[in-house]
Amino acid sequence: MNVETPEPAGPLLEVADLSMHFPVREGVLRRARRFNRAVDGVSFAIASGETLGLVGESGCGKSTLGRCVARLHAPTDGSINFQGEEITRLRGGRLRPLRRHIQMVFQDPMESLNARHNVGDILREPLVVQRVGDRASRELRVRELLDIVGLPARSAQRYPFEFSGGQRQRIGIARAIALKPRLVICDEPVSALDVSIQSQILNLLNDLQREFRLSYLFIAHDLAVVKHTSDRIAVMYLGKIVETGDGESIYRAPRHPYTKSLISAIPVPDPHQRARREVLWGDVPSPIDPPSGCAFHPRCPMATARCRVETPALRAVRSAPQRVACHLVD
Amino acid sequence: MFSLNPQTRRMLRRFRAIRRGYVSFLILSALLIVSLIGELLVGSRAIIVSYQGQWHFPTYTAFHPGTDFGLDYSFETNYRELRDVFRAANEGDWVLMPPVPYNPFESHASGDVYKPEPPSLASRHYLGTDTTSRDILARLFYGTRIALFFSLAFMASVYLIGIAVGCAMGYFGGVFDLLFQRFIEIWSNVPFLYMVIIVFSVIPSTFSVPVRIFVLLAVMVLFSWTSMTYYMRTETYKEKAKDYTAAARVIGASTGRIIFRHILPNAISTLVTFMPFTVVAAIAAITALDFLGFGLPPPTPSLGELLRQGTATLRTAPWIVGAAFGTLVLLLTLVAFIGEAIRESFDPKKFTVYQ
Repeated sequence: MNVETPEPAGPLLEVADLSMHFPVREGVLRRARRFNRAVDGVSFAIASGETLGLVGESGCGKSTLGRCVARLHAPTDGSINFQGEEITRLRGGRLRPLRRHIQMVFQDPMESLNARHNVGDILREPLVVQRVGDRASRELRVRELLDIVGLPARSAQRYPFEFSGGQRQRIGIARAIALKPRLVICDEPVSALDVSIQSQILNLLNDLQREFRLSYLFIAHDLAVVKHTSDRIAVMYLGKIVETGDGESIYRAPRHPYTKSLISAIPVPDPHQRARREVLWGDVPSPIDPPSGCAFHPRCPMATARCRVETPALRAVRSAPQRVACHLVD
Repeated sequence: MFSLNPQTRRMLRRFRAIRRGYVSFLILSALLIVSLIGELLVGSRAIIVSYQGQWHFPTYTAFHPGTDFGLDYSFETNYRELRDVFRAANEGDWVLMPPVPYNPFESHASGDVYKPEPPSLASRHYLGTDTTSRDILARLFYGTRIALFFSLAFMASVYLIGIAVGCAMGYFGGVFDLLFQRFIEIWSNVPFLYMVIIVFSVIPSTFSVPVRIFVLLAVMVLFSWTSMTYYMRTETYKEKAKDYTAAARVIGASTGRIIFRHILPNAISTLVTFMPFTVVAAIAAITALDFLGFGLPPPTPSLGELLRQGTATLRTAPWIVGAAFGTLVLLLTLVAFIGEAIRESFDPKKFTVYQ
């Protein structure tokens, strides 16, 4: 337990009805007549020390959601509440103190590290920008960070391209924890890595969570990865959360038809077990013109007339502990 | 303090390995340095005058009237005559002249007739004289110096404006980008040559020569910075979209820090390869303008002006055009070789062969 800062009563992060609609500029006058509803009315909460896994197909808005929480985007609507402070509308310099507490690990560690800076520069930068410590203490902190993520101290003089993918991601993680944040948004942190490296990075993230009592918003499209790391899971489809609950119950008994097909797509390492896969046909519809009613209805094997008209709300259901956005689940 | 990025170091190593470009670079750098102390090599002022046991160094000091050295006039000493006077007197006084003892402005007409003299070692006009009997080597030397520094200043200004505007367009985007793009499209369609002619017919000839050279530079820069913004704008857009920029924002870096520490160093590297070619273009442009008579104001020595004289007297004085043409070819070849080598050392596909 962190002794210095008392635990706030509520959750660490509370997101309510968050929307991020990107204007689609067309025509000569570049007027925004249509909007890309990348995130459309999403609510969730993350407790201190908890990991929320966010899964969904590519293009479902999960990365945008993560970037909204990290305030790389200014959300169009809704609210983000962090440690009891409303951060949705903070701008410019007023955002800087918040940056200490919310950090991010990116998908492609080659692209997220500036190739012109050496590792020491990269790890020092958060401390310099946030004016933490003096020159000597920053050097110590850089060595300490390298040690924490399992890289030799001499790495500080090296440049990103001299490292392997897994090592680069370790550097990215070291940068994210340099400021001792409370919440780290992991935007597909392992999907650019070899499978053998993935587990190392995931274990590192788990160790760090235990050691520094971090909360994670863990974004991934790989369900096995999410299962390994997350306490709770939220499944996103076309800008909305369609099912959320604790990991165990979702994996054992998914309720939403979309989640069912996702779970059934996880390969089972047993050649004798017959796979009963519920294959989804077609692509994710465009978030610019989402289907009416339930956005999943064009691909849903059980869709009814009601699904085409009425948008289902995310609600508690009787048959399972999780919350589901589907008319057909009770 | 100055530690180079290994990528930069590798490029420098590759640049050095390309002999032709590297040697050209060394020659041109030497030429630039030599031209800075050019008055010691080419000029009508003596390097050292030893008069009555005392040494004088008139090259960079205030002018000495003839009376300083026992002559009977009070205008500036003619050191070539002084040397002859000292020799005739034989009193131990002597004068050390530069290897080319002429300045680019004085006439050396024998009799009162201005006419080009062919190269001659005896008269120390190693490349002859031009149509107004000025030493061609002196004019070439100072003409080249002006052309080089003019084009370097041109390049620096064009890059400064182009990078600043292009980067701002790429980074801030939106309406700012849109308006500036339209403005640049209109601006780059203004015919540059007409603008030079108009500007030069408007500014009075009473302005001093340095001022008029500066005006010419300003006009040229004003109509040349636009092409740089295209590259810079797209590079900035590209770099801004990369995750390292997002990472910098997540740690709370200011806009200035993101632009100057992250985006610019990454975006500029491609522009470096254009630099020598910008210099080539500037030298060619200033020479062409001089040739047409709209360039550097007379009597500034210039390659283009020599070319014009030379083409007019091609039959009677072929050494004029020969000297100017040779210098121009040499200069442009050197810079082009450097440019080619820089481009090649920045090429990510190292072993590509262009055929």
